[in-house]
Amino acid sequence: MTDMIIVTKDLVKQFGKFTAVNGLSLQVPAGSIYGFVGPNGAGKTTTMRMLTTLTRPTHGEAWVAGHSVTADPRAVRRAIGYMPDEFGVYDDMRVWEYLDFFAACYDIPENQRKPLISDLLELVDLTHRRDDMVDKLSRGMKQRLSLARTLAHDPSVLILDEPASGLDPRARVEIRELLVELSKMGKTIFFSTHILADVSEICTHIGIIEAGQMIAQGSMNDMRAQLQPHREITVTVKDSDAAALVRSTLESFPGVIGIKDLEPKGGRSLVRIDYSGDDDGVAAMSGAINGAGIAVLGFNEETKDLEAIFMRVTKGIVT
Amino acid sequence: MTPESVSHLQRVLERAARILRIGALVNGALAGLILVLGIIGALRIFPDMFATLHRLLLFNTPGADDATVTGAMLLALLNLSLLLVLGVGALARETWTLAALFALALANLGALIGLGYTLAPLTIAFALYTLYVILRDRIARGAFRPNPVMIKELRGRMRGVRAFVVLTVYLSLMGGFAMLLYLIYSTAGRDPGSAAAGEIGRVLFNGVFAVELLLIIFIAPAFTAGSITGERERQTYDLLRTTLLSNASFVIGKLESALGYVMLLLLAGIPLQAFAFLFGGVSETELLLSLTILVITAITLGTIGIYFSAGNERTLNASVRAYSTTLILLFVVPSVISLILAVLNGFLFGVSGLFPYAPLEAVFVYLSHFLTSINPLAAAVTTQNLLVTQQIAGFYPFTLSVDGTTIPLASPWINFSILYTAAASILLTLTIRAVRNLDERELPHTV
Ligand SMILES: Nc1ncnc2c1ncn2[C@@H]1O[C@H](COP(=O)(O)OP(=O)(O)O)[C@@H](O)[C@H]1O
Ligand SMILES: [Mg+2]
Repeated sequence: MTDMIIVTKDLVKQFGKFTAVNGLSLQVPAGSIYGFVGPNGAGKTTTMRMLTTLTRPTHGEAWVAGHSVTADPRAVRRAIGYMPDEFGVYDDMRVWEYLDFFAACYDIPENQRKPLISDLLELVDLTHRRDDMVDKLSRGMKQRLSLARTLAHDPSVLILDEPASGLDPRARVEIRELLVELSKMGKTIFFSTHILADVSEICTHIGIIEAGQMIAQGSMNDMRAQLQPHREITVTVKDSDAAALVRSTLESFPGVIGIKDLEPKGGRSLVRIDYSGDDDGVAAMSGAINGAGIAVLGFNEETKDLEAIFMRVTKGIVT
Repeated sequence: MTPESVSHLQRVLERAARILRIGALVNGALAGLILVLGIIGALRIFPDMFATLHRLLLFNTPGADDATVTGAMLLALLNLSLLLVLGVGALARETWTLAALFALALANLGALIGLGYTLAPLTIAFALYTLYVILRDRIARGAFRPNPVMIKELRGRMRGVRAFVVLTVYLSLMGGFAMLLYLIYSTAGRDPGSAAAGEIGRVLFNGVFAVELLLIIFIAPAFTAGSITGERERQTYDLLRTTLLSNASFVIGKLESALGYVMLLLLAGIPLQAFAFLFGGVSETELLLSLTILVITAITLGTIGIYFSAGNERTLNASVRAYSTTLILLFVVPSVISLILAVLNGFLFGVSGLFPYAPLEAVFVYLSHFLTSINPLAAAVTTQNLLVTQQIAGFYPFTLSVDGTTIPLASPWINFSILYTAAASILLTLTIRAVRNLDERELPHTV
């Protein structure tokens, strides 16, 4: 089993009578890019505020990098970089001073801060704005500066609340690329979003939250498998003889659940295979067909997009 | 630092702060005990109570028994305040805390040797033990540093032309004011050192003091009342809370930056006050005592501002409360109550008083004396009067009208300093508690 760097157990947060987070159990593997997806008001921000020690859970427990958020909040703070959904602006600060201040708040000695700030600015591509006032930056730049701030103390986990919200498409892509880069540097990234494109592009894991409850979570592949009973692979061949050959070749192939001829299209024959195996199996299958000497014109897996999965999962619970 | 050493550091600092708090409590308890014994002594139940206490507490100090015993109590109160402040300073990892702990131990050693202050070893022990707890730990030792919040705030405040404009305007106003005073009084005489020139010097000195005091009363709470609410209004508060910055560092940093600026204004005014020396008529002691009063006023009013900043959602509310508290405390309470006391005093103890009972009159005298000490201006004026007319800067006997016995009174600056330092130290402790409670409370939230 991989190490879990964020674990929550039956996490509950109530505001008066209202339950914002309701028995949430979450596991984020170390090194993953974890998309925390859910509609507005689902409880994403509240969950993150508990993980970042800003709010105490009403019930339940959460651990980040092995430290309990209630018993040892300072150790948790040392381990995380947090970016809230609102950008806090100091209107009377320069870009480098902003980073210098937060680095100092993380007890980074003064002689290490200068090189650190250069590195961070380089990473988020703001070197040329080093001496500008923070409130003169564009929204996308502020977001990147925020991200640089979360990295000041070299945390192992980044907890980012809607990092791409309110950005134009270009800035959004830049942030996404940055997240991938940070992940390559070995950081675990736990971010919330209600935009599915963010998730399908870069995430290795996702968790779907709805009305304070976890509906589904796991690796992207598991999620697809779990939500789609089987894969559908369509093989295109020259004629019906070749189609018959495909059928006989794959009949006894392990994991094949069903084989069906489809309506010929443009004079070509199509065979649909229902398959329950994994990616390696798909590759083996394609090898088997080629090995049988069949001239294959097309071999496609139909992927259900995440949007469809999301709609199916949250159906009926959306309030 | 690793997460583990972060937790370790926190434990060491909390331990150090706890030791200092216990030290403060012990001093407080002793001050209370001396007060109770003093009252018993004043009631003349045990005739040689004061003499005994004098021998026990301050064996090396000459002077009247009752005055010395009062002095011992005030020393314990001073130690209490300083230990409380240092406890917060240790939590905040302020470098000056280490130096101040050492200085406090040294000062108490001085009091032990010079005055025979037998309670000093307690404070020495608490201070040195705290130093030991901090310094023997490698991580804790290295964790003391300049306050990041203070640096950030001062950078912002000193940026651009604004700070210079403020300073320039301030100095020109002060200069103009001094010039005006000079012009008005210069008709009186021109020989330096003459009585008339001394008069000019005194008026100049007092005028500058009054303006500076007014400035402090208006600036100190204003600078601090927005310090915590401002962070919340700009939504930067949560960012700070997820860093390793402690509540104590946060509060102290805010206070330091506000006071730093006020001190700059005070420093800029010193040459003007020193100008008064040219004319004579003003002593170094006066300059020193007036600066003490100004600095302590700034610290305490700044603490009042930050206290309200922690307890309110909005800067506006915090400012209004800080100002009204300051004004009520400074002006309404002393004037109204002194008036009532003065009337009652004449009525009860005057030549044909209704109730000629000495201990009760003593209580009245102490009360009105205490009230004088609440207002820095009244404290300064009375202190100066005593200094100029009777050359008294310490304790002096006051004769009761009922039976002609004397009670010891301290020059108001002493009471003022101890009272304000105690208030500041307690408010500081309460502020940090308030910030902690703030973190527990849920902020109003919009999705
Ligand atoms: N401090 C609070 N007081 C009362 N209700 C709150 C508070 N914070 C959040 N909520 C409520 O909890 C629910 C979840 O909010 P949030 O966690 O911000 O959702 P998300 O981030 O997924 O959009 C919302 O209905 C919100 O109104
Ligand atoms: Mg949210």
